[in-house]
Amino acid sequence: MNTLKTQSLGVALLALACTVAGGARSADITVPPDPSQLPARELVSYACAKCHGYKGNGVSVSPIFPILAGQNAVYIEGQLKLLRQRGRADPHARAFMWGISRGLSDEQIGDLATYFESLPAVTGKPSTNPALAAKGKDIYENGVPEPNKVVKCAQCHGDVGAGTNNVPRLAGQHKGYIALQLHYYHTGLRENKLMNRNVKNITDDQIDAVTEYISTLTP
Amino acid sequence: MRLLRLCAAATAWVLGGAALFLTAQPARAIPPFARQTGLACEACHTLPPELTPFGRRFKLNGYTLTTRPPLVNDVDDNKQNTLWLTDLPGIAVLAQFNYSHYNRAPPDTGQPYPAHAQSDTYQFPDQFSLAYAGAVSDHVGAWMQLTYNGQSGSVGVDNIDIRYTDHTLDNQWVWGITANNYLTFQDVWNGIGSYTIPNFNTVSLYNNGVAGAGTTGPILNALGPGVVGGIGAYVFFNDSLYFEVSEYHSAVAGGGSPVVDSVSLAANGGALDRFAPYARIAYERDWGYNSAEIGASALYANWIPSNGYISAQQQAAAALAGNSYTPAQTFNPGAIERYTDLSVDWQYQYNGQHNIFGFMGHVTHERQQNSPQLVAATFTGSTPSGSAIYTNPTDTLTQFLVTGEYFHNRHYGGLVSFTRTTGTYDPLENGGNGSPANQYETFELDYVPWLNVRFLLQYDVYQVVANNQSPFNLSNANFPNSPGFTNIRAGNNNTWVFGLWMDY
Repeated sequence: MNTLKTQSLGVALLALACTVAGGARSADITVPPDPSQLPARELVSYACAKCHGYKGNGVSVSPIFPILAGQNAVYIEGQLKLLRQRGRADPHARAFMWGISRGLSDEQIGDLATYFESLPAVTGKPSTNPALAAKGKDIYENGVPEPNKVVKCAQCHGDVGAGTNNVPRLAGQHKGYIALQLHYYHTGLRENKLMNRNVKNITDDQIDAVTEYISTLTP
Repeated sequence: MRLLRLCAAATAWVLGGAALFLTAQPARAIPPFARQTGLACEACHTLPPELTPFGRRFKLNGYTLTTRPPLVNDVDDNKQNTLWLTDLPGIAVLAQFNYSHYNRAPPDTGQPYPAHAQSDTYQFPDQFSLAYAGAVSDHVGAWMQLTYNGQSGSVGVDNIDIRYTDHTLDNQWVWGITANNYLTFQDVWNGIGSYTIPNFNTVSLYNNGVAGAGTTGPILNALGPGVVGGIGAYVFFNDSLYFEVSEYHSAVAGGGSPVVDSVSLAANGGALDRFAPYARIAYERDWGYNSAEIGASALYANWIPSNGYISAQQQAAAALAGNSYTPAQTFNPGAIERYTDLSVDWQYQYNGQHNIFGFMGHVTHERQQNSPQLVAATFTGSTPSGSAIYTNPTDTLTQFLVTGEYFHNRHYGGLVSFTRTTGTYDPLENGGNGSPANQYETFELDYVPWLNVRFLLQYDVYQVVANNQSPFNLSNANFPNSPGFTNIRAGNNNTWVFGLWMDY
């Protein structure tokens, strides 16, 4: 009697699991799990989506992770290759992307970049602090003059933050993510000669302002 | 006679009739996961063992995410994996050490006062574990742990969780089957169960168990390694709604039905009768750096107390009544206590660039229907105050735990935790004057030089221990050889702990 009950419960549990699985569309991921064998969309589902938007939409929830939807493919491809060879060494690159990217092939990287670029980008939102956004707009469009010069962002990223090729799109990105990257560039934790020089003199207040403005941009 | 009374009372108190509390302690972060995924600890943990939203999804996906190519691989005609082996199995070494200082050393039970036990202990190690953790195949992952326990001096199978999982391409549905040996070990939040924060426990000379052990708690906390084995199925829908049903069986042989002799039941109080169903539901919402969860669970368990377990309580009750215990008073084997545990738990987590906040806890209400054998007037004695000794038909117990924590840059931080347990008076089940009431706080400071090494200074403060009564409080009758040992208070259990946890 006891055994019968046990078996019945076991069958019920299994049936529940199978019902759920059957009712949903199976991923049918043969997951080598040699990630180097996975097609891009499956790789997104298997790995990328855990941080960059669980549905594979490229829109991360936490500002620790960048929004990839609509990001320029050339930039994504370049960064993934840089991360794979550990050429980018800021703390989060080390913690998250060095390992995740280590097995990616060039073909996968290219496909991933194309995939994320094809996704609908996030639009900007009106600022809740217009005064701060106005200050940020000034920095974004005009920079900060000498002696504490900060180069204007619009010079490379464009008036609406769309970027181009290997210049990243900023519009729609998490404010917190951009702020952290500016901090990394400012301190040299993230190495990029151009950006290290451009924001060498930037202050925390200026970072707050310019990221507040960027969060309003929609190309 | 006096020694018998002491031992009986102590045993009953430690075993805690209205509830059980074992000392199984889960491991924390585990480097093989980092080696397998290439991700640093902070991807899955704020600070181990607390999981981030990513860590929860890694676990719900069966520990299978990997970026390591297989060293050996085989596939069938359908290109499905039939073998997948990495170049290095996911083996971890985990060690936990502590130096504890107790507020007041108890007297030596065999020698006249002021002979006493040590008030300082250096547990090196407190626990030492070897574990396999990681993917077994494309859809199967496992956590299997072997632990040396410094207190018991024994090596045994510790936590095991083996999962089969799958998910849809859009991750809208994640589902899995888990086989594990520790109820709540499969859970991914930290407000209730095996991974409740605070997680670094200490040992008190008084209660001879983890902090809070010897104090009462729901049976939900007691169904761990060596006691049960279970299987469950779960779904995680839309990255937010979790639902699980599981069932647990006794891990030890013994009376499978009320009419079978339970002499062979293992120690630790008895065994489950038939199966214990468990259901869990939780809702998580993540936004920005924030993650919040609210959940509920229900457990129904029929528990067969072992002969020794019942006898200890009999002895305690009889001793209190001024009667001597005799074998004739042994209960019939197979007495069953029926537990229903209903819980609500919550967790809020802010996992920012530099700052981490946490606020978690639970309320568990337990209803315990006692065996008619225990309710019957088996004992005709009475307590010193004159009340009769027998078990209530039904006992209840409520435990409330809340913890707040803060860490900066994953290097410095601490937590404060408060636990309070109340319940019905039941001298036979709980010993002493019958109250299961306990209340204590944990204060902890942490220094984390590396994410796999953690130093901590903890202070456990007890206001109420077993309602501040027998065996360690109010009466020195429990220390018959130590008439000078007086003014015994709950605060005597207060404990300083300097701890070190590390793994590799």
